[in-house]
Amino acid sequence: MSEQSPVEKIKIASRGLRGTLKESLQDNYTGAVREDDTQLMKFHGMYQQDDRDRREERSAKKLEWLYSFMLRLRLPGGFLTPEQWIAMHHVAGDHSTGTIKITTRQTIQLHGILKSHIKPTMQSFNLAGLDSIATCGDVNRNVCCTSNPGESPVHEEVFRFASKISEMAKPKTRAWYEIWIGEEKIGEKVEEDPLYKDRYLPRKLKIGIAVPPNNDVDLFINDIGLIAIIENDKLIGFNLAAGGGLGTTHGNPNTYARLASVLGFVENDEEKILKAVYETITVQRDFGNRSDRKLSRLKYTIDKLGVDKYREEVEQRCGFKLQPAKPFQFTERQDRYGWVKDYKGNWHYTVFIENGRVLDGEGIDLKSCLYKIAETGKCNFRFTANQNVILTDIKEADKAAVEVLLNEFGLIEHTNKAGALRKNAIACVAFNTCPLALAEAQRYLPTLISKIEPLLEKHSMKEDDIILRMTGCPNGCGRSPNAEIGFVGTAYGKYNLHIGGDRLGLRLNTKFKDSLNEEQILDTLDNLFDVYQKEKKQEETFGDFSYRKWIL
Amino acid sequence: MLSEDKLQKIKEFTSTLSREELIWLNGYISGKAGSLQPSAAGGALTAGIPKKITLAYGTETGNAKKLATQLAGIAKKKGIGVKLAGLDQYRFTDLAKEEYFFVVISTQGEGEPPLLAKKFYDQLHETQVELKKMKFGVLGLGDTSYAQFCKTGEDVDARLEALGAHRVLPLKKCDVDYEEDALHWIDNVVTALQTLVGSVPAMAPPAPAEEKKPTGKKHYKGTIVTSVNLNDRGSNKETYHVEVSTDEDLDYLPGDALGIIPPNCDAAVEQIISLTGIDPNLEIQTSKVTAPVKELLQKHLNILYPLKTTIKQYAKITGHEIPEDTRLSLPDLLKIYPVKDAGMFEEIVKILTAQAPRLYSISSAPGNHGLNEIHITVSKDEFYVEDEKRTGVSSEYFSTKPVGTEFEFFIQKQKHFRLPSEDKDVIMIGPGTGIAPFRSFIAERDAQAASGRNWLFFGEQHFVTDFLYQTELQDYLQTGALTNLDVAFSRDQKEKIYVQHRMKERGAELYEWLSNGAYMYISGKREPTSKDVEKMLVEIFREHGNKTEEEAEKFLHQLVEEGRWEKDVY
Ligand code: SRM
Ligand SMILES: Cc1cc2nc3c(=O)[nH]c(=O)nc-3n(C[C@H](O)[C@H](O)[C@H](O)COP(=O)(O)OP(=O)(O)OC[C@H]3O[C@@H](n4cnc5c(N)ncnc54)[C@H](O)[C@@H]3O)c2cc1C
Ligand SMILES: Cc1cc2nc3c(=O)[nH]c(=O)nc-3n(C[C@H](O)[C@H](O)[C@H](O)COP(=O)(O)O)c2cc1C
Ligand code: SF4
Repeated sequence: MSEQSPVEKIKIASRGLRGTLKESLQDNYTGAVREDDTQLMKFHGMYQQDDRDRREERSAKKLEWLYSFMLRLRLPGGFLTPEQWIAMHHVAGDHSTGTIKITTRQTIQLHGILKSHIKPTMQSFNLAGLDSIATCGDVNRNVCCTSNPGESPVHEEVFRFASKISEMAKPKTRAWYEIWIGEEKIGEKVEEDPLYKDRYLPRKLKIGIAVPPNNDVDLFINDIGLIAIIENDKLIGFNLAAGGGLGTTHGNPNTYARLASVLGFVENDEEKILKAVYETITVQRDFGNRSDRKLSRLKYTIDKLGVDKYREEVEQRCGFKLQPAKPFQFTERQDRYGWVKDYKGNWHYTVFIENGRVLDGEGIDLKSCLYKIAETGKCNFRFTANQNVILTDIKEADKAAVEVLLNEFGLIEHTNKAGALRKNAIACVAFNTCPLALAEAQRYLPTLISKIEPLLEKHSMKEDDIILRMTGCPNGCGRSPNAEIGFVGTAYGKYNLHIGGDRLGLRLNTKFKDSLNEEQILDTLDNLFDVYQKEKKQEETFGDFSYRKWIL
Repeated sequence: MLSEDKLQKIKEFTSTLSREELIWLNGYISGKAGSLQPSAAGGALTAGIPKKITLAYGTETGNAKKLATQLAGIAKKKGIGVKLAGLDQYRFTDLAKEEYFFVVISTQGEGEPPLLAKKFYDQLHETQVELKKMKFGVLGLGDTSYAQFCKTGEDVDARLEALGAHRVLPLKKCDVDYEEDALHWIDNVVTALQTLVGSVPAMAPPAPAEEKKPTGKKHYKGTIVTSVNLNDRGSNKETYHVEVSTDEDLDYLPGDALGIIPPNCDAAVEQIISLTGIDPNLEIQTSKVTAPVKELLQKHLNILYPLKTTIKQYAKITGHEIPEDTRLSLPDLLKIYPVKDAGMFEEIVKILTAQAPRLYSISSAPGNHGLNEIHITVSKDEFYVEDEKRTGVSSEYFSTKPVGTEFEFFIQKQKHFRLPSEDKDVIMIGPGTGIAPFRSFIAERDAQAASGRNWLFFGEQHFVTDFLYQTELQDYLQTGALTNLDVAFSRDQKEKIYVQHRMKERGAELYEWLSNGAYMYISGKREPTSKDVEKMLVEIFREHGNKTEEEAEKFLHQLVEEGRWEKDVY
């Protein structure tokens, strides 16, 4: 077996993810942490970044790069109480850029937290019953779950699994509390961790739970997916899927995007379900590639072993067999904007938040509005995997009060007037914080869409729920490989155009054109739309048409 | 008392003698007189030369002290007992008891006494003491490039006389190259004393005429090759790192300062000309230079912050009622208190004082940056007049002049502010622009591969925007050229944190370094840091050297005595 990747050594030497983080915090002549600690920070939910717009100028001033930290919360299923929203609102204002960024995995990120502000940030979150443990790093990440409780009577029951899995797959070390909250360490011994041992996983691992018919969580891009199987309004169990992942690397033919394969069905027995998920993780832990991080995700392990072998390995460790997968059907992937009433008679309002950026200004004071609404205490907050927020569990009696605020700040109009393409679109963070970005994404997509909309108008496709996504690099954070129209950054101002993905997230797209600039993008789309309008079958989506026409 | 013919003979004889011969003869005669038994008739003769004189010094950067110590040595060799006294320590009540009192004192600021002598200077001027039995002499240290050359020396000299003391030799004013003049002065002191004691009527030897020599500073031509504001966007500060190249090899050491006589901004000059209607090409002769008005205003005269004394004269000439201690720029003055006509303004130009040199601690090191490059670190000095924001002349100049600008400068030697031998440890406290000389120190020590350790304390307002030379310092820390780097950013948290707080945190180690012979330096703005730092040092010595208050202060004083606590504050 070839040499272990350096990260493996760092993890093993870290004494339960402690490393020299305490010392790093004391190095007050730099805004960065020590090199090995940048890896460990991730396991605590933080990424060291720097403002890439400012590098040159700062260097000329003999100042180090403007280092700061991005922090990601652990929010299984993306749920926040109003009190927690208020706490988060203040933390964002006191310690970060102020922008609350809703991610594609139903949680939030704060950017620009200076090293000296990390502890106060963590401590405020801790007081609000929130943490950032294992939201990054070679562990199970934030567990996604279909967000809209209006979706189905079993939602509540399914949703609870998100937290249970998150707890089960949480590292056992108390390091987070010691380093950031100041908890006393009991003894010299490092905590036992039967799941992660001292090496953790070969790579990040993602788990998603979907409640058909909505695939809003993009279930098949997860390393492990659970599909709720519902028979006459009862949850009878889950189909277990494994091996999803979208990240690729330009010029590395060994990397590829993959959709998860369904392994089988587990009946509604909490212990069994958790066990099945647990062992699916351990197989990846023990068989995953620890020398080449580019090929270490579960998707490569499952192809290396073969799907059947992987299933057997899981079954053996579980001590029970998976039953044959049950049939299921997804009919949509987008969020249900506006008001939805659930079977209990509670109301839920989904607000459109372009690229998940909650802030004031830019024409609409989203942040202030949501803060005011949180202050009423009349609703909970649930994030969607499409980077939006749902104001949930609103009593019939409180609906009016919430609606008044939504109108006062123009959120209802904002949500209604956004075109279909814009509403269904996703863009990743990219510049100026993402160190891996090759091109802009969330700072650019809104204007690009404004230029695409006239084309849709022209080809009378304005109402089509086309799923368009953009990422600043092939890592696919905005899930561009799984869209009907995918843009993948190759260089500043240049994007590969991918087409042929389906509307529901069951078929990946394929690269159609290389490194287009804006003008070329608009020309190409104009032509594609033209052909589509002329030649499409009844009800044929743009994704399915382009697959049939140009990819097959 | 002498008979006509004797007196005649003496007159004829002495007229043939040179000054030196006269002085010698003078000594010879008094010696003879001393050896004779006092004749009942003569009476008045006191025996020998005085047992003890007091030689007091007032210093800022140490020249006066060094000099006084040296002069004391010489005097002692000549058999004169000398009590050397720093005016900072001097008990004013002793003054009335002084019989032979000599002072070496420098001038600072705009003709102000050195900080360490200010208390004495004020008491001297505020209290009425009888100094009847005092014989005195004053040596002033100064610099002719400042408007009020040796002002403090003059003041002290005049005041002592006013209080009834007897001047035994005229005030001697020394320029920056004072050594030779000083030796002369001490000779004259000795002779004068002998003369005094010998019954020869106290005719002090004529002091050599105050002939002006050009100041001893070498001037260079330099070109700005780099100029960057080291503070990041959003900072309250602007601090310019200016790199200057010269064709001629530079002669300076780490610790020295760069001096410039900054040109005034054209706007002000134009304003003055239009306000007074004076012909810009009219040649006028001023105390130092003769040149066309425009050039005088641009390059040579202090027009933006005239001295109070200048303003008094201005009032006289223009006949305006100008309130006591008004301090306005000339353009402002001219607006509020106009001159009658160009002719009157001509008079004003003549009373304007010379533009004072501005000094900047050199932040480059010969060992590292070579002999044809010199760096300074200039903080833009902004202040308000009424509520209009203005910028200081010199820092305005450096913060606006583009790369390629040529200007003239000189090196101000700072003999007291020098690196120790390379094996010694060095502690540097340099908040704000105080970092400048230490950037030079560290670079030089790095180039020497000095075995001694280096420890820097730096402070500013904000970590993100104000960390001057951050990346360079980080590199030095990496390579080990810096052993410790402790930083304090006052405004990044609720409670203010300054360098002295970091020093306290590191108190034990700091004390350990010092007790093992480390040399400690401070540079930067005098107020308030340098005071607070000294307070904190005493506290640290008490705590970690378990000393009493007195012992702690004694330890600090000892460091000063051993030249291990040096300041470059302004
Ligand atoms: C915030 C978010 C995008 C967004 O706009 O919402 C995001 C942002 C980043 N992702 Fe991601 N990823 C995010 C969802 C995804 C997804 C989509 C998903 O999981 O549904 C993917 C594709 C699915 C997958 O994992 O394959 C994704 C695949 C990656 C990869 C590629 C992994 C791979 O196997 O190749 C990287 C790079 C890496 O891990 O080396 C990455 C790395 C990053 C980093 C942390 C860059 C870095 O490693 O330094 C980005 C931080 C940018 C910034 O400044 O905030 N991110 N990332 C999403 C946060 C999710 C969360 O809350 O945990
Ligand atoms: C040994 C030594 C080393 C030094 N090293 C450095 C260094 O490394 N870096 C550095 O930045 N500085 C240094 N200085 C200070 C520097 O010499 C200058 O004093 C400083 O730059 C201000 O000069 P200026 O001409 O810009 O301001 P000036 O024009 O001299 O004004 C200085 C002050 O005078 C007052 N003033 C001026 N004009 C008016 C007016 N019209 N009305 C009211 N008030 C007025 C204001 O309070 C102003 O702040 C050092 C000084 C010394 C003695
Ligand atoms: C900031 C500053 C201001 C000065 N102002 C004057 C002055 O007004 N008049 C003067 O004659 N000399 C002035 N000097 C020159 C000093 O008197 C001269 O350098 C002297 O040698 C210092 O002696 P010391 O080290 O004993 O203080 C000034 C020097 C400095 C650094
Ligand atoms: S897709 Fe690439 S550019 Fe976009 S956030 Fe992820 S890593 Fe950064």
